[in-house]
Amino acid sequence: MYRILVYIGAVLLLLGASAFGLSLWDGPTAWHTDARTFWGIPISLFVLWIGLAHAGTLISAIFLALGYPLGRRTSMIAELSTLCSLVVAALFPLVHLGVIDNFYMVVPFLDARGNFANLRSPLVWDFCCIAVYGVVSLLFFINHLFSEKKPALKKLIRPMAWLLFPLVLWVHTIVSLDFAVTFVPEWRGAYFPLYFIAGAIYSGLALVIILLTAEHCRVRVLEKLMLSLSWFMAAFWFWEFLLKGMFSFEVFFLGAVVPQFMWLRVIRENTFGRLLVAFSILVSLGLERYILVTPSEYDVANAFGWLDLGLVAFSMGLFVLLFFVLRAKLSALLEGDDVVMGEIVLQEDDPAKMEVSESNVFSALRLPLLLGVLVTLVYVTWAVSCDSGVLVSLSVANIVPLCLPLLVLVASIVLCARPLWSILGNRIRFVAIVLAGILGVFVGAFWAGGGSDTTSAVVSVQELASAKSIEGIWASRCASCHGNDGKFNEKFVREFYPLPQKLSLERLDSLGADSLVHVILNGRINMNPYRGRVTEDEARGLVHYMRLLAGENQ
Amino acid sequence: MDAILNALSCLMALGTSMFLWRRPTSVYKETGVMVLSLCVFVLFSYFTVDSSEATLEYMPFRMLALCLCFSTTSLTSHKSRYMVLALVLWLWVEFFGGLTFVYRGLEMPWTRVVAIGSGAVGAAFLSHISREMEFMLMVYWIAIWMFF
Repeated sequence: MYRILVYIGAVLLLLGASAFGLSLWDGPTAWHTDARTFWGIPISLFVLWIGLAHAGTLISAIFLALGYPLGRRTSMIAELSTLCSLVVAALFPLVHLGVIDNFYMVVPFLDARGNFANLRSPLVWDFCCIAVYGVVSLLFFINHLFSEKKPALKKLIRPMAWLLFPLVLWVHTIVSLDFAVTFVPEWRGAYFPLYFIAGAIYSGLALVIILLTAEHCRVRVLEKLMLSLSWFMAAFWFWEFLLKGMFSFEVFFLGAVVPQFMWLRVIRENTFGRLLVAFSILVSLGLERYILVTPSEYDVANAFGWLDLGLVAFSMGLFVLLFFVLRAKLSALLEGDDVVMGEIVLQEDDPAKMEVSESNVFSALRLPLLLGVLVTLVYVTWAVSCDSGVLVSLSVANIVPLCLPLLVLVASIVLCARPLWSILGNRIRFVAIVLAGILGVFVGAFWAGGGSDTTSAVVSVQELASAKSIEGIWASRCASCHGNDGKFNEKFVREFYPLPQKLSLERLDSLGADSLVHVILNGRINMNPYRGRVTEDEARGLVHYMRLLAGENQ
Repeated sequence: MDAILNALSCLMALGTSMFLWRRPTSVYKETGVMVLSLCVFVLFSYFTVDSSEATLEYMPFRMLALCLCFSTTSLTSHKSRYMVLALVLWLWVEFFGGLTFVYRGLEMPWTRVVAIGSGAVGAAFLSHISREMEFMLMVYWIAIWMFF
């Protein structure tokens, strides 16, 4: 069974690999983008997979934190699906960026060239939250995996669950803010955090039910939760219809109507019936993400090209391959002696035991949380005092999204470091030290930053025949970052990195025309060089045009 | 939104909370009550709040969060834990909803956020919640809803 699924995954991956490669090579021109939002399938797939990544933590950590642990194999399958989904999800923002070699600029610390990430951009929040979520989920999974054989780790699972509980909700809230803080009317929604969380949990539950079906087992409580969430989703879609007039019959039918067939015994008790309902939910939520990301496209079928379908196949293939290979490799560790499949184990009959357990959780978390709070406070103070405030006014609200992930990261490492280290063999310790060294190299590379070489995908100035005037060159070369009016391009500031410079008259005068021409031709910090695409005369014309714009803006 | 409608929305949250966690409890029953309450809040918000007000967007979910806070007073076990969780949900709705407004040039409702956050921290330290304490907590939540 696993072998067949691995083959299916490999075939899908191979089919989609060319689409993925072309997307990386060509950038955003490769896939279909919405005419208004400039977003396309990579962001849709990112939102879908990051949502699916929440199921593992929901099922395992939240149930455990509240004192209702599930069977070991159910939890482990769910946690493994989180890790695999995260790997898939993490690839698509990089594809979306189009400048993959500059992705390190979303890391929110000061680099050697004095750059500080744009903390107003949800992209930076995304990177931090997902990275921390990945690390903490991995620690949680490792703890859970070895806890049967190493009792020292067993004590860490519940405190870790309490750390992951808010983090999992936080991460998807931040993903929702990618949309909610923009100007696109369809994305305006102060309710998006809850809407996204509900959608993520809903799709994640469907995925876990499919994966459990592959294990030839079922967990009724998850099916009940899935059915209950279908009502919540219907309520959200109702609200969206009233508020914005947005409604998709396909999404509603597949996501809210089809799940109601679970009321029928003949469907509920049939493996294919359950699979059909779960797949229907995944298709519905996938479609919903695509419609949300590309609100101008009313005809989804025509908007989807072969490359878009290839990216979908790539994501599915990568997940299936990764999940079932790991599942097969970890088989011995996943299936302990006390595998109990079925209903959750209720512990309410023994309140005294729960109280003692909660007290232990608090004791275990006390020091790690204090250290986490301390590090977070130091970071916030430092970030506010950084130069980024000069470019864009930074408020507490911009930094808060990073606080919880940072706190949880520090607390998790402090909590797990010693017990994990003590159970590791010498060989694994050596590997851990090597990995830490590699991580150090990466951090150093982030700090040092990268070059600003001209990309190979440049368009020669001759191709701009229709835009011969300096204004045309400005619109085609500069406006995407600096804005048509010489102020920030607000969309760029909110979703992208790094921050372009403000073109005030004082700043232009202080730098001088020759210096600015040099910057345009040779690049500086995050400004890419335009030599070969812009002549020196055109660069001088652009400087003159900048002065005109700066004068108008004063 | 004027004070009368605001008070009415608070009253509706209080009224619907009475149907939650009544024994015998089940996943379907509790979720059904929550979703029906949410639909009522959705319709109430749609017909009473001015569509030009940005706060309309998250009004039904604020009401649901308040409803869940009220409903925790009728729990028989783990009351303090679920009260904190309900308050954190309310805080979540207010803070992240407010954050999206900050990007549109509106003010973050800091007073409300701090008041709810203080309530959540305070509730975490309550080992025993008497009937009088429940009443005072509900008054505190209503005051936050009405005045902040």
